[in-house]
Amino acid sequence: MKKERQIAMKRLAAVMVSSAIALTACGGQGASSGEYDANSKATITWLNILHTASPPTDTILNKLEEKTNSDITFSWIPDASKEERINTALASDSLADIVTLTMLDNSSVRNSLKSGLFWEVEPYLKDYPNLAKISPDTIKSASIGGKLYGIPFQKDLARNGVTLRKDWLDKLGLEVPKTTDELMEVARAFTEDDPDGNGQDDTTGFVDRNDLVYGAFKTLGSYFGTPNNWQVSADGKMTPEFMTDGYLKTMNYMKQLYDKGYMNKDFAVTAKTDQQQKFAQGKAGIYVGALFDSKNLLNMSKGVQDNMQLVMANDITSTGKESDRAIWAANNGIGGLLAFPRTEVKDEAQLKRILQFVNDLLDEDSYALMTYGIEGTHYKLDDKDAATIINTDLWQQEVQPFAASRPKESGFKIHDADPLKQQADKMIADNANYAVLNPAYSLDSETYNTQGSELQKIITDATYKYILGEIDEAGFKEALETWKSSGGNSIIAEYEAAYKQAQGQ
Amino acid sequence: MKMSNEIKMSDAAALGLEQEKKAVKKKGHFGIMRNKFLYLMILPGFIYFVIFKYLPMGGLIISFQDYQPYLGISDSPWVGMKHFIRLFTEPTFFMLLSNTLILFALNIVIFFPLPIILALMLNEVRHRYFKNAIQTIIYIPHFMSWVIIVSITYVFLTVDGGVVNEMLAAIGLPKISFLTSPEWLRTMYMAQIIWKELGWSTIIYLAAITVVDTQLYEAAEMDGAGRWRKTWHVTLPAIRPVIITLLILKIGSTLDLGFEHMYLLLNSLNREVAEIFDTYIYTAGLKNGQLSFSTAVGLFKGLVGLVLIMLANRLAKKFGEDGVY
Repeated sequence: MKKERQIAMKRLAAVMVSSAIALTACGGQGASSGEYDANSKATITWLNILHTASPPTDTILNKLEEKTNSDITFSWIPDASKEERINTALASDSLADIVTLTMLDNSSVRNSLKSGLFWEVEPYLKDYPNLAKISPDTIKSASIGGKLYGIPFQKDLARNGVTLRKDWLDKLGLEVPKTTDELMEVARAFTEDDPDGNGQDDTTGFVDRNDLVYGAFKTLGSYFGTPNNWQVSADGKMTPEFMTDGYLKTMNYMKQLYDKGYMNKDFAVTAKTDQQQKFAQGKAGIYVGALFDSKNLLNMSKGVQDNMQLVMANDITSTGKESDRAIWAANNGIGGLLAFPRTEVKDEAQLKRILQFVNDLLDEDSYALMTYGIEGTHYKLDDKDAATIINTDLWQQEVQPFAASRPKESGFKIHDADPLKQQADKMIADNANYAVLNPAYSLDSETYNTQGSELQKIITDATYKYILGEIDEAGFKEALETWKSSGGNSIIAEYEAAYKQAQGQ
Repeated sequence: MKMSNEIKMSDAAALGLEQEKKAVKKKGHFGIMRNKFLYLMILPGFIYFVIFKYLPMGGLIISFQDYQPYLGISDSPWVGMKHFIRLFTEPTFFMLLSNTLILFALNIVIFFPLPIILALMLNEVRHRYFKNAIQTIIYIPHFMSWVIIVSITYVFLTVDGGVVNEMLAAIGLPKISFLTSPEWLRTMYMAQIIWKELGWSTIIYLAAITVVDTQLYEAAEMDGAGRWRKTWHVTLPAIRPVIITLLILKIGSTLDLGFEHMYLLLNSLNREVAEIFDTYIYTAGLKNGQLSFSTAVGLFKGLVGLVLIMLANRLAKKFGEDGVY
């Protein structure tokens, strides 16, 4: 009962907020025909996701407003509570002119997109130079039911890989691993051969966190040839990743790491910050995650592990054959949508002005502003357009919060001068050639939309239990049967039908 | 913290209500004008209950609909009992019900008597400053949020360098993965509740004990009763009505097992014992946007709570106590 009351209270508050937003939003535009004045100042409210601890100060915002000739009001939602907050905002219609939707597979987000709550933008893209450059593949991936309900965040296809302690490898006379077996051997050596030379048994190979997707599991899965969420056969049969051989191999690999103590024992309850801390403190030497995390890890280790040197690997396979290289692509490279609700953006003229604004955000200048800040204040630039942050604290406070709001993250002239970051960027670009896409990403399944996350819990729980040795292969098979009978079979059938339909088009 | 304050508020409100009821009985229905200021004092509480407890109940309608936010309550399609049928036929249902009821039973059987015992013990402390110091110290944990308490537990109990496991290892015992084993979840949950709420829960009992007529103690002493006898025959019977009332209220509110607390403890490996109605409603409803379904779950949970409180009240009356209504 308490819950309903909370929902109702939030709804009340949300209605009040949204009416206030609506009032301010109405002030900005006058014309109601499809035409708009490109030189007019736009008044824009933006419901945005915040990935840092606190929202940015106005420094960058003022510059952005100047650059885009607009007046922007942000409502920040912390990333950790985005599901709850976005759902409540959708449920109570307390949105803004621009809404950042990052969870396109969340059922209520999907349903509201399909319901026509947001403007369909594909027909307008060609009128804007930067938006016209969005590739047809990206548009296809970001579409739901063949329609594009917002400007996609263009992310790198596949960002994951393995980061290792180079100084430890050198000390133990090991090479950067190329196969999963070599990686296991490195993990063993890092655990048992005292890589930090302090004479104590206080290191492990891997340090992982409570995340089977963005942690080590899914990336290792790619090395074992596991498909990305779904596999589709030539005759249109769909198989979920956890029913494939690769998934089982990955579980066995993780189980071996766990059983032999080559990874932190409490990984199932370890948060990302704790994981990175442990690595920075020299408690472990192998980190599997986004490749650009290596720069942060090295920064975090300053003063704690000053002799830390890092090396990254993105070409590990279980077979050692180049042809088997693969790496999963998170959301097929779509970071979400910048969507424009019809309830806030009332007419075409206003929509066009806002699209102009998003187009301006894709400019080189805006990118530099939202990535590095203001030249001379936050960063310095050398003659090769390489940027170095000169005031990290100020940058973290004023610039970093904007990073996740960039509609596009690569393909600009300006780049990071940090060698590790440069190498990570190069490897991420290289990953794109081996990216494994999720064939079901833009397909629709009613059962998945309503019960998908609940059903996924069955699999996630069983996977952890298998790795920790609480159930055996028979137990895992049993969980698969539960998944099938609780709705999994319908998901498979619905995806297969949707796939057939999409192929027929 | 917010919730327990709320409980305290409703405890106080219920006690007040009880006295109000007696007053009405004596004077009939004609006392309203004469006691208008007393009634005026009820008003804020009355408004609170109407706005925050009764009006939102209207939202329960959506549990019989396929609620779509952009259609609103008026236009969303009616689906009758669909969501309830789904709830009762899902395999998770029995897990949720049994987890919730087991934790509820542990709360009543283990936690409920502890503050009474502690209050009686505090009452026996002769040295006033010592007593005050103890009271202050045991109240402190109540003011910490669950996030902090669960984090402290995590730091102590983790297998990767936690103090407890290091000590176990030092004396040659195997390490125990407290945080991920289902067997330890309930123990951990109860221990945390006791640590956090035990001291604070003694307040009402201590207040009740202070109003016990001292003549009774003197008379008991005359009859040669020692401390133990005085406690057993004087103090306990005197605070019995308070105990019964609090027990009934506790039963009514204990199905709110503390969403925040359990959500923080929950993980993939202990879900089979840790998932309760509150956490399920949050994940299914707010995170996955199944508003109608989770409202149905919430409504069912409310009904279970109602049945429990009615049973408890009837039981109380059978034993010759007043009950709460």
